[in-house]
Amino acid sequence: MGALSIRNVKKSFGNTHILKGIDLEIEKGQFLILVGPSGCGKSTLLNMIAGLDDITSGEIAIGDRVVNKLSPKDRDIAMVFQSYALYPNMTVRKNIAFGLDIRKVPKPEQEEIIARVAKTLQIEHLLDRKPMQLSGGQRQRVAMGRALARNPTLFLFDEPLSNLDAKLRVEMRSEIKLLHQRLGTTIVYVTHDQIEAMTLGDRIAVMKDGEVRQFGSPQQIYDAPADLYVAGFIGSPSMNFIPVQLREEDGHAVVELDNGRAVQKVRLSPISDSQRAFVGKQVVLGIRPEQLTDPESAHSEHGNLQTLQATVAITEPTGPDTLVTVTFNGIKTVARCHPRAAGAPGQQVELTLDPTKALLFDPTSEKRLA
Amino acid sequence: MTASRQGAPGFSLSRLADVILPKLVLAPTVLACLVGFYVFIGWTAWLSFTESRLLPRYEWAGFVQYVELFGNERWWGAMQNLGIFGGLFILVSLALGLLMAVLLDQKIRFEGAIRTLYLYPMALSFIVTGTAWKWILNPGLGLEKMAHDWGFTGVTFDWIINPDFAIYTVVIAGVWQSSGFVMALFLAGLRGVDDSIIKAAQMDGASLPTIYTRIIIPSLRPVFLSAFMILAHIAVKSFDLVMALTGGGPGFATDLPSIFMYQHGFTRGQLGLGAASAMMMLFTACAVVMPLLYSELRRERRG
Ligand SMILES: Nc1ncnc2c1ncn2[C@@H]1O[C@H](COP(=O)(O)OP(=O)(O)O)[C@@H](O)[C@H]1O
Ligand SMILES: [Mg+2]
Repeated sequence: MGALSIRNVKKSFGNTHILKGIDLEIEKGQFLILVGPSGCGKSTLLNMIAGLDDITSGEIAIGDRVVNKLSPKDRDIAMVFQSYALYPNMTVRKNIAFGLDIRKVPKPEQEEIIARVAKTLQIEHLLDRKPMQLSGGQRQRVAMGRALARNPTLFLFDEPLSNLDAKLRVEMRSEIKLLHQRLGTTIVYVTHDQIEAMTLGDRIAVMKDGEVRQFGSPQQIYDAPADLYVAGFIGSPSMNFIPVQLREEDGHAVVELDNGRAVQKVRLSPISDSQRAFVGKQVVLGIRPEQLTDPESAHSEHGNLQTLQATVAITEPTGPDTLVTVTFNGIKTVARCHPRAAGAPGQQVELTLDPTKALLFDPTSEKRLA
Repeated sequence: MTASRQGAPGFSLSRLADVILPKLVLAPTVLACLVGFYVFIGWTAWLSFTESRLLPRYEWAGFVQYVELFGNERWWGAMQNLGIFGGLFILVSLALGLLMAVLLDQKIRFEGAIRTLYLYPMALSFIVTGTAWKWILNPGLGLEKMAHDWGFTGVTFDWIINPDFAIYTVVIAGVWQSSGFVMALFLAGLRGVDDSIIKAAQMDGASLPTIYTRIIIPSLRPVFLSAFMILAHIAVKSFDLVMALTGGGPGFATDLPSIFMYQHGFTRGQLGLGAASAMMMLFTACAVVMPLLYSELRRERRG
């Protein structure tokens, strides 16, 4: 029995079906990320876990209790909101104490909890201020403090960092991670930012249009995305998708890449059964930019790197690497190269591709051909 | 060459326009405000220190009018009525307005229609309100007669002709007219409250009444202040409502300082006394409003 189980949960507002059957399960202490574009139903799902929205059908269990019918206060959860949702008329101290007060925690104990939480989040000096007098980052801390004070079995975060500036966001991100490691509480965390998802999560559910497209560990989702959508959503810059015709040679999948001057044959991994069904047909080749690089930076556990020639269209230095845009089969393709090996627009460069990391997708169903 | 030409006279001319134009545009308003407000306040103040009767006279007479005013029983009756009317009118309008706003905030159906309905009385002038309520409350015409016609002959509702209760009929009519507007103010305030604050309070375990009493209503403090100011000034300047409803009667039972001032100043040839009572009304209003404004401004400056 997991810490949180979501079984075939659906949500409709009238005739619009927002969630179309969600199944998720996580263990105690895990950090679950719900990631997906705006409007895909992440907040709706989170609100249903919290008990703020009712469930159209399906079942949500926290621990071994089905909570469908329980009101938010009886679910033993705490939530941090995107807009922080601090009580504007109360000081930080009262904000943190409010939930304890309602639960009739004795005053001395309240004081103790407030002191502990304030120390953890370094907001001791802010306790007597009103939310109006705090900066965004400070409000964020107070909102987390309010959630921490209750010491719940489950924390819910709804895009808690999206109102912060970039630098603060990175700082708070690692603080949340640290906090999770220290407290070991189960967390469900909603974000639309795939970097946040990758860095924070133990388990990631990639959502789109009210469905979970893939549920797995960050590495699984990165290395073996279930479909084109997940492959393109996770990773920055995104994966290159190149239309190719699939062939088979000596048990290996083989595709051809045309750089505009010459057609180059690329030998991929040994062909699988699901891929064999597409021999002679159009498929989509998926390559992440870092798997397409200059020979000097290239490395492979298997050794059989493939070399490709290409003409540089644009170079975009990022500092440690330079993103080099080239063209294969008429599609702009990004390679991540060492700045010294990036070349200049118009120049011919040599790139290497790790064939074991290249993925193939069915262009119609968009599923990955495993 | 061009630079120097632009730099010298043209530049200063446009600068001059920049400085003068806004003042020129604002001048009529400022002037009207100065004359209509402060000049007449000054004039009234001056008259209150003279022995003016039917016509203004400008010889200094010291505090005679104030002495007479403070010795005038009718004046104190009017002030007492203002206290009862103003206090109840403000309190009931605030309470009723807030209650209606909270109820209307529960995402009910026909909200738009109900809101408009509540707001309609505000569109009427106090004369109309006063006249309508005079009929409604008239024992021989309105509610009491209706009750009698329906067979409830024991019902008596004659507050409007009862000197001990007439002032409360003014409160009823005033509240009827203004509480819809107060409701609109509060509703706007309630709608401004972030939804997730309510969700957060629910997660904290607070019930809906607790959420309202401990979080939402306290955060409406600025709305309370605005509503209070508006209601207070309506109460102090109330004149037409009472004139239409009871004419200040029966006897002087619903007399208000504004009526006192009007009658002495303009119909009884006691201009000096009227001016003195007008000044006392001004001071009363200032005494109520100034501390509030001052404390609110200080709060804001502190952040
Ligand atoms: N109360 C509601 N009534 C109708 N549609 C709603 C309601 N709440 C949310 N939606 C719709 O549900 C979808 C998912 O919303 P939400 O869960 O907030 O998305 P997000 O993933 O950005 O958090 C959106 O298309 C939104 O318009
Ligand atoms: Mg959302």
